[in-house]
Amino acid sequence: MNKNIIIISSLVIALGAGASWVIKKADASHEIQIIKPVPEFQFVNQNGHSFSDKELKGKISVLNFIFTSCAGPCPIMTNNMTSLYQDYVNVPEVQFISVSVDPGVDTESVLKSYADVHGVTDNRWHFLTSDIESIRTLKRDGFMLYAGELPQGHAIKFILIDDERNIRKYYDGTDDASMAVLRKDLNQLVKKIRF
Amino acid sequence: MNRFRQVSFISTGLTYLLIFVGGMVRVAGAGMGCPDWPKCFDRWIPPTSLDQLPDSIDPSKFNIVLAWIEYCNRLFGAIVGIAITLTVYYAFKDYKHVPKIKWAAMVAFLLTLVEGWLGAVLVHTVLNPITITLHLLLALIIVMLLLFAAQESYYLENSGLEQTSQYPKNMEWVFGVFAGILLVEVILGTEIRGGLEMVRKENPIVDSVFLLKMLGPFKYIHTILGFALTGIAGFLWFQLVKKSTNPSPTMVQSSLAILLLILAQIIMGEILVFFDVVPLIQLFHMWVASWILGLVMIQYTAWKQSSISYE
Repeated sequence: MNKNIIIISSLVIALGAGASWVIKKADASHEIQIIKPVPEFQFVNQNGHSFSDKELKGKISVLNFIFTSCAGPCPIMTNNMTSLYQDYVNVPEVQFISVSVDPGVDTESVLKSYADVHGVTDNRWHFLTSDIESIRTLKRDGFMLYAGELPQGHAIKFILIDDERNIRKYYDGTDDASMAVLRKDLNQLVKKIRF
Repeated sequence: MNRFRQVSFISTGLTYLLIFVGGMVRVAGAGMGCPDWPKCFDRWIPPTSLDQLPDSIDPSKFNIVLAWIEYCNRLFGAIVGIAITLTVYYAFKDYKHVPKIKWAAMVAFLLTLVEGWLGAVLVHTVLNPITITLHLLLALIIVMLLLFAAQESYYLENSGLEQTSQYPKNMEWVFGVFAGILLVEVILGTEIRGGLEMVRKENPIVDSVFLLKMLGPFKYIHTILGFALTGIAGFLWFQLVKKSTNPSPTMVQSSLAILLLILAQIIMGEILVFFDVVPLIQLFHMWVASWILGLVMIQYTAWKQSSISYE
């Protein structure tokens, strides 16, 4: 009898260990791949506060490149970002970042009023600016996006960044289907840091 | 041990393992790991890299981990199928004149064919929830039939085993009610699990404990029936061990094991409700339920054997 109990318990433990390994593998296979880490940068936000790559740590970020006087795809992108900002009001783990590619025009105060117009009332959405060369470097080398002919040559991508400062995925910021996928991926990452 | 007993013993064990593996596929979310059936990505051995994918299949559907989890389930299912086929073969060979063994094995075999077909339906309906439940239910019935056949042949070979034991009479209905409620409990459990998955899909960042509360009635019935099962298991133990004359070791141990496993079920259920819906615990919660069913079958055959020898 004792021998049987030992055999059965070790079998159960082995099965449990095997199953948890398999479940972990399966979970990991659902994860969004890491593309590369975001490099260091130090910009300023619409409130005049410094905002660096360290602020990405511990939060899930959705980042895009815009300029306030842009009439093309920017309004659509900003609308999409605004609805994300509103819908994730109860999810403090998520922050939104819009980097201006037109620092000559988009000063702190211009960005501040742009933020106000879009109903930004808390610090979940940052509008960043810096000198044009730092912005270009971050965009081209950091995010691997086209950075010629700024500001017109801004990209329409939304970029998902995880709490470890890794770029995880790019989305078309003007397209509803991509936004739906972004929300799903965003939720997955939030769940990961919550539980 | 004759050939039939060896084979039926192995079949029962393998079927139990398959129930575990099937549950693992479920909690790992690998049910659609292979989008076709019986082949996997149009191959008998699933692809190990993207370039082995046939052109007709969308590469974004391919997840190598999930494909291999599901494939192992199918492969193992095929092995169990062979074992059960051997069981029915030896049942007809060794127990030609014992209908209950012969037909229990036969029904188990036929249900296994249905089970394989249900597996195909599952893939074609992209995991229809009712079919998932039916798939599990059928597996439980198959394992009970196998266990019944194995125990009956065991008693045919060792007819003296329950001779000196004397248990209270007219207990059939207690076993029946117990097994029936247990099966309902398993169905409710899969409903809770399925419902949880559904609300979780719609509210991905709400935590599972809150989601469980949204499932209300199912969860309460599951808990109430759980209490009923605890009561009946206690009653069975009291009648078959305490109120009996010289209960056999098989009876004492299986009755005690049922009580212990029910305790384990309560603890696991409470962990799932109060802490978090941990996939591994979900898996064992389901698997232990299948063990309890098997133990009730052992109790029942022992009880029946004694009443035969007593008469």
